[in-house]
Amino acid sequence: MNRLTFWRLLPFAVLVVFTAPLLIVLSSLFGDYSENWSHLFQFVLFDYVSSSFILVIGVSILVLILGTVTAWTVTSYNFVGKNIFEWALILPLSIPPYILAYTFTGLFDHYGDANNLARLLLNLQNSTAIFPNVRNIYGAIIVFSFTLYPYVYLVSRSAFINQSRSMKESARMLGLNQFQVFYKLALPLIRPAVIGGLMLVIMETLSDFGAVDHFAIQTFTTGIFRTWYGLYDIQTAMQLASLLLLTVGVFYIAERSTRSSGIYTSNNSTFSPSKEDSLVGYKALTAFLICFIPIFIGFILPIIELILWAYEVNLEFFNQKFISSSINTLSLSLVTGMICAGLALLINFSIRYKPSALVQRFSSLLSIGYAVPGLILAVGMVQLLVYVDALVLSGLDIVITGSLIGLVLAYVIKTYALANSSIESGYERISSSLDDSSKLLGSSGWSMLSSIHVPLLKTSILTSVLLVMSDVVKELPATLILRPFNFETLAVSTYIYASEERMLQAAAPAIAIVLIGLIPIVFLSKMIRSSRPAH
Amino acid sequence: MKKLQLLLIFSLFGHVVMTNEVNVYTSRHYDSDDALYEEFTKETGIAVNIVSGKGSALLQRLKAEGVNSPADIFFTVDAGNLWKVQREDLFQSIKSEQILKVVPENLRGPNNEWTAIAKRARVIFYNPDNVNEKMIKGISYEDLANPEWKNKIVIRSSSNMYNQSLVASLIASLGEVDTEIWATKLVNNLARKPQGNDRSQIIAVANGEADIAIANSYYIGIMLSGSAGEDQLTAANKVRMIFPNQDNRGTHINISGAGILKNSPNPKNANLFLEFLLSKRVQKYMVDKSYEYAILDGVLPSKEIASFGISFKEDQTSVQKYGELNPDAVRLMDRSGWK
Amino acid sequence: MSNLILEIKNLCHSYSEHALSIENINLEIGSRDRVSILGPSGCGKSTLLRLIAGLEKPDQGEIKINDIKVSDNKNLIPPEKRNIGLVVQEKALFPHLSVFENICFGIKKNKDKDLIASELLNLLKIDSLKNKYPHEISGGEQQRVALARSLAPKPNFLMLDEPFSALDEDLKETLYKDISQVFSDMSSAILLVTHDRNEAEIMTNKQIRMEEGKFI
Repeated sequence: MNRLTFWRLLPFAVLVVFTAPLLIVLSSLFGDYSENWSHLFQFVLFDYVSSSFILVIGVSILVLILGTVTAWTVTSYNFVGKNIFEWALILPLSIPPYILAYTFTGLFDHYGDANNLARLLLNLQNSTAIFPNVRNIYGAIIVFSFTLYPYVYLVSRSAFINQSRSMKESARMLGLNQFQVFYKLALPLIRPAVIGGLMLVIMETLSDFGAVDHFAIQTFTTGIFRTWYGLYDIQTAMQLASLLLLTVGVFYIAERSTRSSGIYTSNNSTFSPSKEDSLVGYKALTAFLICFIPIFIGFILPIIELILWAYEVNLEFFNQKFISSSINTLSLSLVTGMICAGLALLINFSIRYKPSALVQRFSSLLSIGYAVPGLILAVGMVQLLVYVDALVLSGLDIVITGSLIGLVLAYVIKTYALANSSIESGYERISSSLDDSSKLLGSSGWSMLSSIHVPLLKTSILTSVLLVMSDVVKELPATLILRPFNFETLAVSTYIYASEERMLQAAAPAIAIVLIGLIPIVFLSKMIRSSRPAH
Repeated sequence: MKKLQLLLIFSLFGHVVMTNEVNVYTSRHYDSDDALYEEFTKETGIAVNIVSGKGSALLQRLKAEGVNSPADIFFTVDAGNLWKVQREDLFQSIKSEQILKVVPENLRGPNNEWTAIAKRARVIFYNPDNVNEKMIKGISYEDLANPEWKNKIVIRSSSNMYNQSLVASLIASLGEVDTEIWATKLVNNLARKPQGNDRSQIIAVANGEADIAIANSYYIGIMLSGSAGEDQLTAANKVRMIFPNQDNRGTHINISGAGILKNSPNPKNANLFLEFLLSKRVQKYMVDKSYEYAILDGVLPSKEIASFGISFKEDQTSVQKYGELNPDAVRLMDRSGWK
Repeated sequence: MSNLILEIKNLCHSYSEHALSIENINLEIGSRDRVSILGPSGCGKSTLLRLIAGLEKPDQGEIKINDIKVSDNKNLIPPEKRNIGLVVQEKALFPHLSVFENICFGIKKNKDKDLIASELLNLLKIDSLKNKYPHEISGGEQQRVALARSLAPKPNFLMLDEPFSALDEDLKETLYKDISQVFSDMSSAILLVTHDRNEAEIMTNKQIRMEEGKFI
């Protein structure tokens, strides 16, 4: 095949594979519409839409505040604990929202551990509760915000670090105080990066099932499942899912086009790192609290509760089943991480190598899998695998339905956005003049990719593998339906116990999810430490 | 890495057909079931392969796999799930004399597509400190709509299938109109917005947040066994369980059940597996571990729940009605404002 | 005394314990003075500007602007309250703002914005760039914009830190000419830091040599 054609066709080929299961779901829109639609319209659809809307708005606002303020605090100031906070602020990423939701109810229900402790300490009556009920939309906003803010923190921090000192100093000279520099200059400047991170947060919020189900909030996702499971109407459920998909799709493309119209290359050649101001006294305390509170709520608190639970059942969980599901989880996430990073690298390279508006528009669609509820994706995937088995592989005596191929493919579709966002932003930092000089020196195509881009993108590639891994470890609904016989992951074990309302037994696999999720996070934090500006 | 490669090679191309096995799709997730499967393999030499997941999701997988499906058995909780598979015509009839002899007709599919393996009752829990024994004696589901229970009842969300089956059974017995009036009044009597699981309803009653909870019978067994922790044991000791509608049609029951799939590659093994589950010894083992009630006569419930009564009058409504009427039940609950 | 705009006494500063970057500097600048500090790179001249701007804190000595003490080893009036302009060698333009928006950035009163900005655009001959973004214009043009931006808030005086060193020679000559003209039109004082004697002589009327943190 002609080399140019390969790079030009690659994004389209991947797009076909990625969107096939989604198109199967979307095809429901062209089917019949059952009488359940009038029931939905009349009684519940408004609730579904409005609570999803409130959830997304609330989470967006809180995540933006948490993510950017913490990032600004650790990049601009020096205070006690700053070196630890810099990496510890991403720890909540290892806690899936559903696990935080489980522990929140364990803590803050009327007779939860936190309320019991408070009553004991304050010597109060049984009827009084200090902490408010969390099983509502506000509780859900907090759960999502405190587990997902690291997405915004990560991008904000690296963007803040890359802002040149002289630019910020110029703003000071022009009459802005430190606070104004933050919200008038630094914040607008990192808008594209932050919106990218925020999109991930919104998509994850919209596609979540575990946490909202646990809190009994009627969102669009729970509505889809209720229609499917309760009304036995998978057709209408798929149609609802398609609407969710289309909404996110429109949102996503709109974000993409505003981003591309506002591109400005940052100028790294004369980069001089920012020197942080040292804080003392109440200012240092404030900075400390700004960073500590998100880590406490999003990480320390749930870990304490899980350990309390696990402690009650001793070590009986540590058996063969537990070990095998840990190994399954780890290897699946590693394989998916490498595939995603490889794909993201190839596709971003092909876009850069043979730029065209159409390819760009299409490849941005590749990330939409992130917004698809796992179970819906899985349903489309099963259908796809069956077609493939029947049409392509029937003569070969091979069945890929119910194999790891399907599961890994679903993971790849679901987490590609994470890999892509990291590699794409890495590419944005490589000046295109470098490509030109490389071409002039006779290096193009594969050799440019391997000898110029890969070394330059090392950090981005590693980040993308790790981000994908931390997400795959937590994935539940698609795993439940697509996994092969006798194949359990930690998320599956946790879910099985939690759905049987056996939180104590669920604690051990939940802790293991967090621990495995921590491995990529530790790598990430190591990179964060080394990406600190030199003085 | 080596381990990883092996793992990949083994499972890359799906299911490699082995000779002596039975493949089970199950939405029951009890650890004690694993031990049962091992026991079955030890006894018969037949390997048991498991895929577990939500009932509806597994059904979707079954449908998609079609004739290629490797599944032999579909094993699930809630009769509604069985009915959905039956409706898709994915089951074959169970022929085993042994099974048909021991399982009552209302606990089987209309053409013996599936059979109950164990049953549970949806019962009322109350706190004797707050509820007068006189008030609660002879109570029925219908009584819960009475104004005397205003702000005193807790129950979980209407998304839960146990509630959907309960309402479906009421539709079967009372008709849709009366059931909707009942549901609307019940929602008015709730002490709080439906939230949490069955166990949190029982705990709410134990702690005096509400007087009455509707929940499944086996949860009290798990709580009393102490395996769920000290707090739940204490809470369970504070509450009493009562079987509703003993003076008329009987208490609503639901089942765990299983059937052999039409495209089963190993139908003989599947049959053996069902017979195994319905043997006396296994039934006793199951109810002792899961705190359900046995299908076989003469198998006593576990000691934890035996104190609430070893037998009770059961609603004889055929459990397959739950499946048929489930969508009506969900729409009815939506209309009544049951969140 | 009152015509002194900047007054520095016994100023000392160090980045580490071992070496002083600024050693006992005394300097007075009058309200219409145009002074340059001439020295090799690393001699501490940029640090001196940063100290005056309030971006660094002195170890000893004091700095007065318009007779008000702005820096000593205890207190520091923050840079945004000193009303000083600073143009640096690096491209410090805000990349997300247009040329016009960059220039308006430091103007406090909204109603003056258009007037002041168009005056400066005119003065620095960059009218045609008004709606362009920093990455769309050349290095020389960027420095003109940076200068216009610093002048827009009407600073007490203007400091320039090697403003032309990244530009090629031909471009410098025209810039010198245009900018000297701007300076003569303006009434504010100028403090230029450079290593280029020619530049210092064209742009300013008083030159001070600096080496290893000291005036010589």
